[in-house]
Amino acid sequence: MSEAGPKTTNLLQGTLDLLILRALSLEPLHGLGISRRIEQITRGTFQVKPGSLFPALHRMEEAGWLAPSWGESENNRKAKYYRLTAAGRRQAQAETEEWQRISLAMAAALQAT
Amino acid sequence: MSMGSLAYLSRLWNNLTHRRKVERELDQEMSAYLSLLAEESSPREARLTAGGIEQLKEQVREVKAGFFMQTILQDVRYGWRMLRRSPTFTVVAILALALGIGATTTIFSIVYGVLLRPLPYPADERIAMVFNHFSPQNTDHGTLSLADYLDWKKGNHAFESAELFRTAVFDVTGAKEPEQVQGVSSTAGFFSTLRVQPLMGRIFLPGEDAANADGVVVVSENWWRSSLGGDPGILGKKLNLNGVPSTVIGVMPSSFHFPRPPYKLWTNLRLIPPKRRGPFGWRGLARLKPGVTLAQAQMETNGVGQRIQQENPQTYQRMTMPVVPLRDELIGNVRTALLAFLGAVLVLLAIAAVNVACLLLARATAREKEIALRVSLGAGSGRLIRQLLTESLLLSILGGVAGCVLAYLGIAALRAWNPGNLPRIEDVRLDGVALGFALLVSAVTGVLFGVAPAFQSGRDRLASSLREGGRGGTARAGRRRLQAVLVMGELALALILVTSAGLLVRSFVLLGQVRSGSQAPPENVLSMKISPIPSKYRTSEQIIPFYSRVLERAKATPGVVYAGISDSLPPDRQYDYDTFVIQGQQLAPGETNPAVTCPIVSADYFRALGIPLVRGRFFTEHDNGDAPAVVIISESLARRYFPNDNPIGRRLKASGPDLHDTPFMEIVGVVGGVRYTGLDSDPADAYYQPYAQTLYYQRTNLVVRANGPAASLATSLRREIRELDADTVVSDVVTMDEALGASIVGPKFRTLLVGGFALCALLLAAIGIYGVIAYSVAQRTQEIGIRMALGAQRSKVIGQVVAQGVRLALAGTVVGIAGALFATRLLASLLFAVKATDVLTFAVGPLILIAVASLASFLPACRAAMVDPVIALRHE
Repeated sequence: MSEAGPKTTNLLQGTLDLLILRALSLEPLHGLGISRRIEQITRGTFQVKPGSLFPALHRMEEAGWLAPSWGESENNRKAKYYRLTAAGRRQAQAETEEWQRISLAMAAALQAT
Repeated sequence: MSMGSLAYLSRLWNNLTHRRKVERELDQEMSAYLSLLAEESSPREARLTAGGIEQLKEQVREVKAGFFMQTILQDVRYGWRMLRRSPTFTVVAILALALGIGATTTIFSIVYGVLLRPLPYPADERIAMVFNHFSPQNTDHGTLSLADYLDWKKGNHAFESAELFRTAVFDVTGAKEPEQVQGVSSTAGFFSTLRVQPLMGRIFLPGEDAANADGVVVVSENWWRSSLGGDPGILGKKLNLNGVPSTVIGVMPSSFHFPRPPYKLWTNLRLIPPKRRGPFGWRGLARLKPGVTLAQAQMETNGVGQRIQQENPQTYQRMTMPVVPLRDELIGNVRTALLAFLGAVLVLLAIAAVNVACLLLARATAREKEIALRVSLGAGSGRLIRQLLTESLLLSILGGVAGCVLAYLGIAALRAWNPGNLPRIEDVRLDGVALGFALLVSAVTGVLFGVAPAFQSGRDRLASSLREGGRGGTARAGRRRLQAVLVMGELALALILVTSAGLLVRSFVLLGQVRSGSQAPPENVLSMKISPIPSKYRTSEQIIPFYSRVLERAKATPGVVYAGISDSLPPDRQYDYDTFVIQGQQLAPGETNPAVTCPIVSADYFRALGIPLVRGRFFTEHDNGDAPAVVIISESLARRYFPNDNPIGRRLKASGPDLHDTPFMEIVGVVGGVRYTGLDSDPADAYYQPYAQTLYYQRTNLVVRANGPAASLATSLRREIRELDADTVVSDVVTMDEALGASIVGPKFRTLLVGGFALCALLLAAIGIYGVIAYSVAQRTQEIGIRMALGAQRSKVIGQVVAQGVRLALAGTVVGIAGALFATRLLASLLFAVKATDVLTFAVGPLILIAVASLASFLPACRAAMVDPVIALRHE
């Protein structure tokens, strides 16, 4: 499910979910918008390919974290936008905290050597 | 349930019910994505993504709720289309399965209803019947006398209470019409021992079996409705039961019956202190105390039996009191036959399943291309096996549904017919248990017959047809081997059924050749039971003239040649049996000869039935109460007790446990042997007494011989008896023909049923062999064509193909004989005059099988021989 970015960084299990949740925290986006936003907020480290993105979006929609809404895309086509639900926000909060704990722990471990 | 799983369920529901909408939205989402991508990124990237769009969609579908269920539905839909595409295959397979599952479900329902379904008494497994077994009577489940019962009751600690009952026919007056009703006479704790409650009124009260208690009766709901008009005020009204006024105190609900549904009333037995050990005819009924086992109770009653024997050495020797679980006693001896049926039908089901497996294998050839295509499109072998298993399950479920319809019809027919007088047939029905069983059987057979072909296909997939140019070598060889093994197994199973059926048929034919001892043409003999009501005929002075008048009237009826009466009739209507002693015979104190049949007859009874006179004379009208007592003995009794003497002029007397002072009777004749206890038993040792010289007895049979078929005489004879006494009940009117047929209806049913299974098995095996041979001929068309082009004889080709079928049959026979030797051993107790290893049957069975196999391979062989070499060579 992970895709290699320019610096061949593999996405850890569960990281994609958190990235999507973060990407959607400002405004609803469609699929391509989400992958662009992720690229942008990770400063190009992660490029999410459609084979990972869409199954994840649908899985998270099934889980009730994302809600679909149909709108017009930039080129005036009907497109599916995703927005965070209340459950999605709670999930984003929880996953962010979890990730921060892990990254702190990892940083400490790396400094110890 | 958490919010999350609720949301999941609603998604699942949405995905499953709005499949089209979900798909459309996925399409829209993807095309919007692609068009945006085309504008924003390189054309190459857009093209690459567009190329993988179907795969992408599939990846999305896989994460959606209900994906697994959808693929199953998809498999089922696909399987359904495949089944519809080859209707002949589908119909044959479903018919074979319906036959197997229907027959299995029917037999299972019978076995369940008769052997397993609980009786209509709570915790019936704790209820037992108690019997009396002693020498010289030696009846396994012999009955108790009142005195035995009182001793048992005194010594009882193992049971909650000790009750006594007997079944009897009651002449009931006081209802709509005089009627004969089967009923039970029992001690007061009868109903409470069974733990049943009345629909209205009450059951017996403690003490209502006292010697001076008033007569009370509890009636069945059905009889209350049919014969008492459903009178709501029936409680407190009086009925006359065999002349005893009895107050109706209760009505039992229709769910209750004891011991069987034909018994419609239960009356109180009055325990009048007995003066002797007899008469017999009573059975004990008791419920085990909590914590007491049957074996413990048995030890206690045997102890009671020993004490009774020690106190009454002249009546009993080697006395025990067998304790038998109520259900075992009610079911009797049908267990073996029913289990044999179940075994036979399971074998048939296995044959049907193997047959369908063969059909599936043959069809796999036709589907090679399709399967290869699916493999090349990326179907894994697991996916392929699942698809094929789904198809076979679909087949078996369809077969199961059709089978349930067959079972429903079969059970209805069996209940209406009640073949073989099965006990508890009223408890046999197609209910949830039977349907559950059918479902289970369908699923199991579906997996069983689907697994071999499916895995074979799974293995085949590498040797895909695409690679081999549509003429798969190894794959087909594998299938052919599997098919041959399956057909061999099928033939082996069929042989088991054929030999079992053969043994039963041989038994039945031999049983049908047994003569009852009556030499009159059976259709010319008519008998009927006549039961004068006891209140009118209390003494022999009253009853003997009545029977004399009945005989006169019968004799005078046009068409009647001889008319006689007898309380026992062949082939299986023994009425009474008793022990006897011969004057001058040296016996130890208390010893008697074994009990023999002792019919009470009129002068012309022997002539009416055509029982031959061996020596001496028949009875005459002069052998009455004023004349010296006389007796006629059967040939076998004469041979046994007078091996070297002429018995005529010797004297014997009855010497039952309760008969010590009857007079000696002079033997005046010896007659041919008659079977009174069934055609499968030997002609009975018997002594006959003239009815005019015996003590009072109530019921007897009128038996007449006509000079042609006698059935039409029934009406006029009934009328004559009614004119003599309108209250006398006439029942059981049958010709000897009918009586003989009825006496072997059990063996007949067994033979027909297992024979029918065997025929079905042969038919299925024939289809199986035909399939294998036809398939192999089709495979070898080219080879056969070459050989014929090179000058092979047509007959030789036919011979070779048939030989192939016969080889299969021979292999199946070897396995089958081993199986049959095992299976028929279990049948041994159902056979008559034939050994379970009967050489003839074991020789003929394989021959039949080989004949069927040759016949089934002959058709494809002929087709092979008709091959035009030119066409065959071009066959590609």
